[in-house]
Amino acid sequence: MKQLDYDIVVIGGGPAGMAAALKAKEKGATVAIIERNDELGGILNQCIHSGFGLSYFKQELTGPEYAELFINRVAAAGIDVYLNTMVIDLTPARQVKAMNEDGMLVLSAGAIVLAMGCRERTRGAIKIPGSRPAGVLTAGLAQRYVNIENRKPGERIVILGSGDIGLIMARRLTLEGMQVLGVYELMPYANGLYRNIKNCLDDFDIPLHLSTTVTNIIGYPHLEAVEVARVDENLAVIDETREVIACDTLLLSIGLIPENELSQKSGVSLNPRTNGPLVDEDLETDQPGIFACGNVLHVHDLVDNVTLEAEQAGDAAAAYALQQKTAAGVSETGSAENKATIMIGPGENVGYTVPAKMTVPSPKEIRILFRVRRPLEQAEVVIQAGTKILYQGKPRAFKSSVMEAVVLKPEEVNGLNGTEQTIIVSVREVK
Amino acid sequence: MNHYDIIIIGGGITGTAIAHECSKYQLTAALLERGTDIGIGATKGNGGVVHPGYDPTPGSLKAKINVRGANLYPQLARDLNFGIINPGIFVIGFSDADEAMLKHKLEFGIKNGVQDLAIIDASQMRNREPHLATAARHALYAPTATVVDPFEVAIAFAENAKANGVDILTSQPVTAIEKRADGSFLLNTPEQQFSCSYIVNAAGNHADEVARLAGIAEYQMKPRHGDLLVLDKDMVNKPQTVIFPCPGPDTKGIACIPTVHGNTIVGSTATMMDDKEAVNNYAPGVQALIDGVHKILPELDAGKIIRTFAGLRPVVLNNNNDFYIAESQTVKGFIHAAGIQSPGVASAPAIAEQVRDLLDNAGLEMVPKADYNPYREKPTDFDALSIAEQDALINHNPAYGRIVCRCETVTEGEIIAAIHGAIPARTLDAIKRRTRAGMGRCQSGFCQYKVIAILSHELGLPVSDICLEDRGSQLLCGAVKGGVK
Repeated sequence: MKQLDYDIVVIGGGPAGMAAALKAKEKGATVAIIERNDELGGILNQCIHSGFGLSYFKQELTGPEYAELFINRVAAAGIDVYLNTMVIDLTPARQVKAMNEDGMLVLSAGAIVLAMGCRERTRGAIKIPGSRPAGVLTAGLAQRYVNIENRKPGERIVILGSGDIGLIMARRLTLEGMQVLGVYELMPYANGLYRNIKNCLDDFDIPLHLSTTVTNIIGYPHLEAVEVARVDENLAVIDETREVIACDTLLLSIGLIPENELSQKSGVSLNPRTNGPLVDEDLETDQPGIFACGNVLHVHDLVDNVTLEAEQAGDAAAAYALQQKTAAGVSETGSAENKATIMIGPGENVGYTVPAKMTVPSPKEIRILFRVRRPLEQAEVVIQAGTKILYQGKPRAFKSSVMEAVVLKPEEVNGLNGTEQTIIVSVREVK
Repeated sequence: MNHYDIIIIGGGITGTAIAHECSKYQLTAALLERGTDIGIGATKGNGGVVHPGYDPTPGSLKAKINVRGANLYPQLARDLNFGIINPGIFVIGFSDADEAMLKHKLEFGIKNGVQDLAIIDASQMRNREPHLATAARHALYAPTATVVDPFEVAIAFAENAKANGVDILTSQPVTAIEKRADGSFLLNTPEQQFSCSYIVNAAGNHADEVARLAGIAEYQMKPRHGDLLVLDKDMVNKPQTVIFPCPGPDTKGIACIPTVHGNTIVGSTATMMDDKEAVNNYAPGVQALIDGVHKILPELDAGKIIRTFAGLRPVVLNNNNDFYIAESQTVKGFIHAAGIQSPGVASAPAIAEQVRDLLDNAGLEMVPKADYNPYREKPTDFDALSIAEQDALINHNPAYGRIVCRCETVTEGEIIAAIHGAIPARTLDAIKRRTRAGMGRCQSGFCQYKVIAILSHELGLPVSDICLEDRGSQLLCGAVKGGVK
């Protein structure tokens, strides 16, 4: 059994983990990345389509290209990378229990960065009735089969859910000669990015059926058909619209859930709105020295945003670990005197905010990320604490598929106290 | 052609328990299962409760067998090393009428010989289950009740039977049975022929069809369908007790069941069906489960559902909902173990004893084996080991250092061991039942491709031949345009 010590242990070697590790290393910390797969890059490695890096690198890259740029930087930076290594436990005292072919490892860390990503929602989560045959799988698994294993999941494909992975796979399967019969979406609007609707469905004449869902799975031992039906404004199935579509594969692209089993083992509290940790403006969880970033924190649509968020987490984690080190023996740093915690939460039309709390007075700007719950044609962001308006945006359109960000300046929040201890982010419709 | 003293048709928990019982005696026996694995009919479609026996009418065959079977479980679990927990059962009542019903159950239970039953009040219930519906007033408490994983039990029975000389053969659907002049039977499967002196029909929902192959038309069967739900291990406020509402005429009601593995099962509905093959979930049934469990545990988070499944309980019609365990009235040497509806899991070990006695009465000499080994070794469960044991295991075999299923912490070593086990796992679901790979919250989204690759490698089969469960359930078809790189 190996025992190791690092200032920073980053759990997960996808885009979030790599960016956090690089930033922490740049700040002078000793850093290890633990990655369960046989290479760094995470889910980017199977995202062989382009569209990555437009904002961060100002160029259009494929997923593996985006990953490679970071993999090369990690290799050059002198970060210890443990591949094929699975973390199986994490304690509040920041001890990491991991394993690989060489045996068990116990790593002690000054700070932890959680960067484990997310997983796909499955059939069970939405309780689709019917038989339980082969031929029903998540879109991400299908992407793995086609792009990495080079196997076809079937020939005649129905896709349920208009999440980005489903849209990307509609195009990918079409290009590989499979017949994509249609994409069905329960809601009256698409869940994926507009550019993906355009580039992946419209350009390939793949129909998108809104307010329509799969109501029955038919066939055993292999899928033979699905029944679809339209739903009304209350999402109730309209019986007379039921229709059976012969197919051999049903792909599910019905949402992503941050993977926080490990976070919970360390006692980190989760935000029920994101299923990710509750974090402050430094992306620190409620367990001191444990930070979170990327899709484990909240599900992103663009990897560029993941990178930025992870750099922030890596920076803060390094500051924490290095300060703890130098302050050893001295009293706790960062005296709480004259400081207050202000909660940040969603108001009208907003699903969640990250962070969920902040400390004032704050020496620096605070970036609040959020998503609207449903598309809004004309609306404005209003951020307020009590009756005090901290920020008001210009009226424009909002989509739930796009993550929004507002930056508040220190002087806008530092006066807050007492009765105004919640910052509410709303997006109000404008007539 | 192989001749056996006994051929058992059907490899569910009933058939495997009978195989296990037969393996204790000096005789030759084989079990023929039509499916690709054992335990994949009614055995995999229920909640795993070992009912203690307060439900059956005193004096019925079911009452006797249920109580005896339930009492055998703790020792069997020790000998055969399968998981068992002892959460006890609450049957909760909300009204005076319910209380009368609970007292009636208590009386049944006492007559049937169930130990330690008591009616408890609301405060006693809440001490144990603080999140129970506030309207619940009293409960019948059966503290001895246990819960098992029924397919693990079937696998354990089958493995131990095999170790003691019984042939366990899968993918062997019996297509013809002939009673020969010398009294023996000739059985055909699509690929083989067998002969035997005695047949035990443990074919679950298909027992009437198997009987008909031998010219027996003593009973007709229909399935009683049930929907069930599985909830995530990380659900908050998990119940510690199996909680039933007061029962209806044909069903014990929708219960909340803690499992051996830390999940929670909600089940089940009960609807008589015609189709014996349609192990489907139905939307109204699934909704009834959610509504039903909320009557017991109003705060239970339905967002933690990770899977729905279903089961078909085999019911012999016009038999007072009892089991049908008897030698055929018309064909000597043909023993029925049919209609094993609820509580089939609890009853299986005692059904096996009953069948043994029927075989004995029918003329088969049952002489105990001197070298019978009652013990089965538990397969390695990496997750359950200490860190030092895990480290030693990996050093001994690096395959145990490779995690395949991250949700349930299952290693490649455990999967390879299952593929080469006594009752080999040859499908994705067979591996899932033995190792729990794919059983967790991602429902195999992350590990399916790895398990397929391991199966393909270990069995020497192309990836496109690997099945989910039954024949024809291939998971992948051909290669993409550029071929496999």
